[in-house]
Amino acid sequence: MMYGLIVFLPLLGALVAGAFGRIIGDRASQVVTSALLIVAALLSGIALFTVPYGEPFTVDLGTWIVSGSFAVDWALRIDALTAVMLVVVTWVSAAVHVYSIGYMSHDESIPRFMSYLSLFTFAMLMLVTADNFVQLFFGWEGVGLASYLLIGYWYKKPSANNAAMKAFIVNRIGDFGFMLGIAAVFLVFDSLAFDTVFAAAPDHADHVTRMFGASVSTLDLIAFLLFIGAMGKSAQLFLHTWLPDAMEGPTPVSALIHAATMVTAGVFLVARMSPLFEYAPTAMAFVTFIGAATAFFAATVALTQNDIKRVIAYSTCSQLGYMFFACGVGAYAAGIFHLFTHAFFKALLFLGAGSVIHGLGDEQDMRRMGGVWRKMVFTYAVMWIGSLALVGIPFFSGFYSKDLILEAAFAAETGIGGFAFWLGILAAVMTAFYSGRLLFMTFHGKPNASEEVMEHAHESPPVMTVPLGFLAAGAIGAGFLGLPMVSGDHAFWAGSIHVRDLAHNAIEAAHHVPLWVKLLPVVAGVIGLAVAWTMYVANPLLPGRLANAVRPVYLFSYHKWYFDELYDAVFVRPARGLGTFLWRKVDLGVIDDWGPNGVAASTLAGTKRIVRLQSGYIYHYAFAMLIGVVALVTWYLLAVQG
Amino acid sequence: MLEDYLPILIFLALAIGLAVVIMLATLVVARQNPDSDKLSAYECGFEAFEDTRRKFDVRFYLVAILFIIFDLEVAFLFPWAVALGDIGLAGFWSMMLFLGILTVGFIYEWKKGALEWE
Amino acid sequence: MSQSYLLVALPELFLLAAGLVLLVVGAFKETAAGARLVSNLALGTLAITLVLVLVAAPDRAVAFRGNFVMDGFAGFMKVVVLLGALGTLAIAQPYLRREGIERFEYAVLVIFSTAGMSLLLSANSFLALYISLELMSLPLYVLAAFQRDTYKSTEAGLKYFVLGALASGMLLYGVSLVYGFTGTIFFEELTALYLDEEGAELPLGALVGVVFIAAGLAFKLGAVPFHMWTPDVYEGAPTAVTALFAAAPKLAAMGLTVRVFAEPFGAFVADWQQIIIAVSVGSMVLGAFGAIGQRNIKRLLAYSGIGHVGYALVGLAAGTQSGVYGVLVYMTIYLFMTVGTFGVVLALRRRGQSLEQIDDFAGLGKDQPLLALATAIFMFSLAGIPPLAGFFGKLYVFLAAIEVGLVWLAVIGVLTSVVGAYYYLRIVKLVYFDSAPEALDRGMEPELRGVIAVSAVVTALFVVVPGPILGSARVAAGALFP
Repeated sequence: MMYGLIVFLPLLGALVAGAFGRIIGDRASQVVTSALLIVAALLSGIALFTVPYGEPFTVDLGTWIVSGSFAVDWALRIDALTAVMLVVVTWVSAAVHVYSIGYMSHDESIPRFMSYLSLFTFAMLMLVTADNFVQLFFGWEGVGLASYLLIGYWYKKPSANNAAMKAFIVNRIGDFGFMLGIAAVFLVFDSLAFDTVFAAAPDHADHVTRMFGASVSTLDLIAFLLFIGAMGKSAQLFLHTWLPDAMEGPTPVSALIHAATMVTAGVFLVARMSPLFEYAPTAMAFVTFIGAATAFFAATVALTQNDIKRVIAYSTCSQLGYMFFACGVGAYAAGIFHLFTHAFFKALLFLGAGSVIHGLGDEQDMRRMGGVWRKMVFTYAVMWIGSLALVGIPFFSGFYSKDLILEAAFAAETGIGGFAFWLGILAAVMTAFYSGRLLFMTFHGKPNASEEVMEHAHESPPVMTVPLGFLAAGAIGAGFLGLPMVSGDHAFWAGSIHVRDLAHNAIEAAHHVPLWVKLLPVVAGVIGLAVAWTMYVANPLLPGRLANAVRPVYLFSYHKWYFDELYDAVFVRPARGLGTFLWRKVDLGVIDDWGPNGVAASTLAGTKRIVRLQSGYIYHYAFAMLIGVVALVTWYLLAVQG
Repeated sequence: MLEDYLPILIFLALAIGLAVVIMLATLVVARQNPDSDKLSAYECGFEAFEDTRRKFDVRFYLVAILFIIFDLEVAFLFPWAVALGDIGLAGFWSMMLFLGILTVGFIYEWKKGALEWE
Repeated sequence: MSQSYLLVALPELFLLAAGLVLLVVGAFKETAAGARLVSNLALGTLAITLVLVLVAAPDRAVAFRGNFVMDGFAGFMKVVVLLGALGTLAIAQPYLRREGIERFEYAVLVIFSTAGMSLLLSANSFLALYISLELMSLPLYVLAAFQRDTYKSTEAGLKYFVLGALASGMLLYGVSLVYGFTGTIFFEELTALYLDEEGAELPLGALVGVVFIAAGLAFKLGAVPFHMWTPDVYEGAPTAVTALFAAAPKLAAMGLTVRVFAEPFGAFVADWQQIIIAVSVGSMVLGAFGAIGQRNIKRLLAYSGIGHVGYALVGLAAGTQSGVYGVLVYMTIYLFMTVGTFGVVLALRRRGQSLEQIDDFAGLGKDQPLLALATAIFMFSLAGIPPLAGFFGKLYVFLAAIEVGLVWLAVIGVLTSVVGAYYYLRIVKLVYFDSAPEALDRGMEPELRGVIAVSAVVTALFVVVPGPILGSARVAAGALFP
């Protein structure tokens, strides 16, 4: 019951605001959706303290599809992993709902926005509570849809529309892999229920599939396909290009979807599928590689971006990479722990950035900010908290989780683990640098905005600062709160995360690494911050000179490694050219004339003939009936019997 | 074999004979004063020979239908009355039910005024 | 005749008794208020009957010396038919009021006809079949001509009656042939007759009889080549009556057709399969192509109904339990879509005038957004576009056909669905993208609103909660294949 409420209250809110928003008004829509979400958040809090350590269970909602051996139920799977995700989703979502009341106060269609937000939350909750692959897919596509709607929320802005489409299309590539993965699961296990599939996974560990003349481990193949889906959703390298563009959406959306929840669905997926991944070593190595590469790549791009939200977006990309390589080396718990802490401080950073943007009259370029910290002390303070958590300064939440991930990578004692560890350390230095750069450029130094803007710069109203305060508390406290998750014995998870060899698991190993490994991430963070301070506070001319000195490197980073340009040249343009050709020559020239137009013409002719039979005279009709009977009888006497 | 049909032959002869006698008798005895109405065939108050698509009052149909219904009822009652001894109580109540339903219909047509000519 | 006999047929007996009572009540209160009272009482009667059917014991029970059978199949179809009668009677009330033909006979005739349908679904011998078929049809002939001061309505009634009599004649002739060649009219005896014989063959005369019976049933279904009456009668009859025609009798006839072919002639699937396939293909093709040129929405829905019967018969043609299951699911979904669609047609008005032309749908999206949404749901569903209910109906019958190797039949079904989608989507286009010179009336009666809303919700949300319909249909189909 309680779990049903958690999942369906946001849907209720979405329906109310969506269907009746125009009738009940803006204020009521805001209050209803926010209140329902807060209730869901409180219930989730209860779940977090009752569910872990206990046996997982499912809440049945009814049968969905039964078709032969293919049976799917609506059911909520409640275990420790779900409980953690419930908390992340509902807490951040509740904060974002409340924050939006202030941030979107000047918007024209507030009920629509609140409705989308709640709808997204519902889809995300469906995703994390899924009991089978089909329901998982339902939630997966649901968040994709809600994300599309929210990125393109300002649908009059062409750039927002393009960004929404880009997000949808890039995700489609990932979803294609995901769907193939689900199909493969059904093919191999003959079931899509998690319980059945997970229980049967060890028996299929040595199963081999012949593909293109080569033999592949079946579980490796499945895990690989599922991970393709995760890559799309979580913006990992090669499928990451949509995330920075998605910043076209309103800032609360970025905080909710593109920092705390939807993009972490991929990490959740890998953790949820741990019983499969544990028997898919090759896929695990691939996960580690992609994760580490993304962590490093995104950090380098974040170094040079000037749009405040893009910096945070690339930072998110990079942090997701950390989570993935944690999972890749078997430390799923560490990955989820980082997901948990990251949700708070990254949502905090986004909302803080939103507060700055809001206070400066919708300015997003950091070069036109600076020196505003006196005007918005509270925002300034929470941005520091968020950044310190992100950098991994001791006793902030990020410190616990990020350190653990790096330690786990080191402790894996594999080549790929080492690769991940060192890239992770490098990324940590850069993380600290760009976080510092963001803070210093935004809040310190000379004001670069116009006099008029500075005049009006102001702290945000309480309805925005209170959620910030809540998230800031989370950014500090989530580390302590989540520590039980990463005890070496996995007791917290009670089986919801599967590790092959519980006695020698990655988390346990991570707790026994040399001291220098434990200290190195912190040192990296301090170095990064120090460099940023030197360049942007102590010596403001240095960055420009440095950029000129290594201009190619700078441009490479500034242009995001030219991924967009590359994809444009390799995929988009040829596809467009092919499309034009098919449209002009094949579609209009061949298919239309021979196909639709020809068929339509003959269809119309046939219709006319049929209508002519319908004369309206009873004796014609009676005659047709008799002819019909005679024809049938004749056929039987001649053809069937004879 | 053939002699079995003798009574029929006698009946036939008697019938034809009687008919001839009666018609001859009217021709001889009765007073003859013909007019066009008297000479035309009698058909329910309608002209005997004219366009078949002529409209005539729907009440004729109504009466005809009502007649058929109660006619059939009687036709149904006769065999029932004869066999009542064999079909027992169930048979008795079945007919009562039938008559009851018929009565409901009768009430309806009465209230509707189907039984009044004007 | 024992007590339990009466209990088995309790819903039908109740319905008939209530019909008689209502007839008397109406005769003594011949005013508009009386008509409304009778109509409401009739709705209550149908609802109570529905409950009686629902609470009836699900086990197979035979009554009236083998003439009457109550089993899971009959129960399921009765529920569907009663729902159809209930829905169409509810939406008829405001329509009759507006058209000035609000007479209490309407509700009474619907009750009697529904009783006939209910008996039809429980018919277990050809005699019971014929009598209940006539009980169902006679009130319908009258209803078709209910608006007796218009030419169209009387013409529809007359056409329906004359052709219906012809079809009844064919049916009776077929029954007599079957009786002559097999010596029985009881379904159970017919089933038992060929049960033990390996490779038994139906006598040729009986086979011809089956063809004639099929012709009589196909007339009631409105299937090719016995469909000719449907467009004219659908167009001519008052819209509320058309809604009833499309929903209830068609479903009852389909239930009966399934029972006749699955039970007494169940052993001769190979023989009758040919008829059903021929009729099914003809209906699908004609339903798809015939509708394209239509300008009148009721005529269009007539062709649409022909097509849908064709699709449902694909399931019967398979001749398996899953085929029958498909037919049941299909007809259930069809009921909701059809009643909803007719509800929309009844709600469509401009300056108080009922509209029947397809072009009148223009501008609906602007004038009545919710009604437009419901229209779109029904049209997409009728076209069979996932994830709406109509898609699943088609899915199950086509799957059943494919299972027994009738792949080409399923292919024809899909192709004609594509053609059919054209005219459904044209309506959606009219609703949302075209504008009319004059706005449509806003607001509608609560009965209409309720029926349309329920139908739309069932049609749209079937995919989310398909369990109740699929589950009971599965049980019902199982009752015919012990």
